[in-house]
Amino acid sequence: MSQFIISVGREFGSGGRVIAEALAERFNIPIYDRHLITDIAEKTGLTPEEIEKYNENPKHRIVSRSVRGFSNSIEDNIAEMQFNIIDQKAQSGESFVVVGRCSETKLRKYPALISLFVLGDMSEKIKRVMEVYSLSEDEAKKLIEKKDKKRKRYHNYHCSGHWGDSRLYDLSINSSRLGIEGTVDCLEAYIKARLGADAK
Amino acid sequence: MSAAQIFAVIIFTAMFVMIVLDKIERHYVTLGSGVLTLGVVFGICMRKGSAIWDTLALEGFTKKEFWYQVTESESKGINWATIVFIAGMMVMVEGMAKAGFFRWLCMKIAFIVKCRTIPVFITFMIMSAVLSMFIDSITVIMFLAAVTVELAQLLKFNPVPMILSEIFCANLGGSATMCGDPPNIIVGTSMGFSFFDFLTNTGVCAGICLAVSVLFLYFAFRKELASAEGEKIDMSKLPKPSEAITDKKSFIISSIIFGCAVILLVTHSMTHLTVATIGLSIAVITLLTSAKDAPELLKKVDYKTLLFFIGLFIVVGGLEETGILELIAKFIKNISGGNAMLMVAIILWVSAIASAFVDNIPFAATMVPVIESLAATTDVSRNTLAWTLSLGTDIGGSATPIGASANVVGTSVAAKNGYPISWGRYCRKIAPATVLVLAISTGYLFLRYL
Repeated sequence: MSQFIISVGREFGSGGRVIAEALAERFNIPIYDRHLITDIAEKTGLTPEEIEKYNENPKHRIVSRSVRGFSNSIEDNIAEMQFNIIDQKAQSGESFVVVGRCSETKLRKYPALISLFVLGDMSEKIKRVMEVYSLSEDEAKKLIEKKDKKRKRYHNYHCSGHWGDSRLYDLSINSSRLGIEGTVDCLEAYIKARLGADAK
Repeated sequence: MSAAQIFAVIIFTAMFVMIVLDKIERHYVTLGSGVLTLGVVFGICMRKGSAIWDTLALEGFTKKEFWYQVTESESKGINWATIVFIAGMMVMVEGMAKAGFFRWLCMKIAFIVKCRTIPVFITFMIMSAVLSMFIDSITVIMFLAAVTVELAQLLKFNPVPMILSEIFCANLGGSATMCGDPPNIIVGTSMGFSFFDFLTNTGVCAGICLAVSVLFLYFAFRKELASAEGEKIDMSKLPKPSEAITDKKSFIISSIIFGCAVILLVTHSMTHLTVATIGLSIAVITLLTSAKDAPELLKKVDYKTLLFFIGLFIVVGGLEETGILELIAKFIKNISGGNAMLMVAIILWVSAIASAFVDNIPFAATMVPVIESLAATTDVSRNTLAWTLSLGTDIGGSATPIGASANVVGTSVAAKNGYPISWGRYCRKIAPATVLVLAISTGYLFLRYL
């Protein structure tokens, strides 16, 4: 099978990461999410916890400055490292699933890219977050809003398109409609159709 | 306040805020602000076509003094001499970098001291300061930090203390000469100073500060560096300095051009060649001698920075033409009550604190007409105020990770290689070093000039 790269953007609590993992399993390809952090940790000697602190975080504008492509922001540098890693993997011809990391934009130049965005109804996302993180409704709602705000700022700082804007992705899907399994089935069918169409 | 003054201040303030927020590339910000200054302040409010023409200062190119200057002269509006000089130096530096000059120099010095941590630490600090006297500190730190990380990985030491010290010394070295740091080029070309004037004034102060800084930074970081000292080093495993040279012929030529540039700069008060002439000459020679690589070198010139300067000079021209800078000068005069010591202290420390957080280039460009005005209305000599401004803006930039370009580049190189430097980590040792050096500079200025 020729190369294909599945990029999964997601709202917090939509089950996007679980869906991405299921897709990786169904297509028997590796998934890069937390793995990117361990990869950087191995290369740099930093601990995964240190990297996690700055992962998918937007930089603080007031205390950051850029000069000729260099930035003093640790968040920027960690992001840049992750963009480079996924780019190298894409360049090597490997098929994989990547979660977040502005991958729908950063890997757009590769014809093998299939970009997806998973969203969800707030009520469903709250239920899911309450269950996964053992939180109250209020806490879950606050966490969702906080995480999504951060992801949006991170994405919109590194890319010209807006996070979650359907024009940026091949397919945007609301996981609350079909549930996690149903969404995975639907996406699997879509990806197979794409692969079939690309093969012709 | 007149409408022109109000708009000039609004445009300048908005420009500064936008530069700090870093949402739009800074050259677009200054150019946009420059266009607004020309259109709104000069055109609509002042209805003064001559002010637009004076600020664009294009006729300067046709004047003999722009290229060959026997007596001191001052410039107004866009400081084309600064722009031509910086562009010329950029071409030369690109040529040197392509030939492998900087990497070779770093590796050579590391080999001379047998790659032992403490001697590398000290020699790299001195090299950083000396190179920054002639070359922009961004390039110096880009190479020095990269080699430091490489050596650190091979010799198993933490490169962060060394990179921080190199950054600090690069900023200090830059304050020593007219071409070391953009604020100095602006001060020098705007107020008609020579390379030698800087060397014998800010240079002496920078020399004293460097000696103290090397000691201070050594004691500040000795524990972190000592852990790696004493381990046996297998020099055969290290990359040889000669491996850094990509093309021997280009390397020799670029080294000769660099040597010529240094000689021309040191002697320009005797030869009467202006920095614009020197910048243009070395660029032309670099391009002629690197024939086939010339398009690549030209492509690598940082045009964004040059455009940033052009826009900036126009906006500052707006403040100057509308008399705002004179008001600032009067304000400084009033709060200092005409006391020379207080005035010098205010300019030095305010420049330093401002430069620690915002780009020191707009600050210096704005302050030049202010100190000219202060010198004209008080007993303090313009030279003293010029050295004060240079030292304040150059040294103050060291205090935080965003104060100067070298800091950003150095911390970025470190982070990309797995050594992120947070604000806390940066400021813990470097901010006290900056305060120490500023205190020395205050003493120096008081004792020598007042």
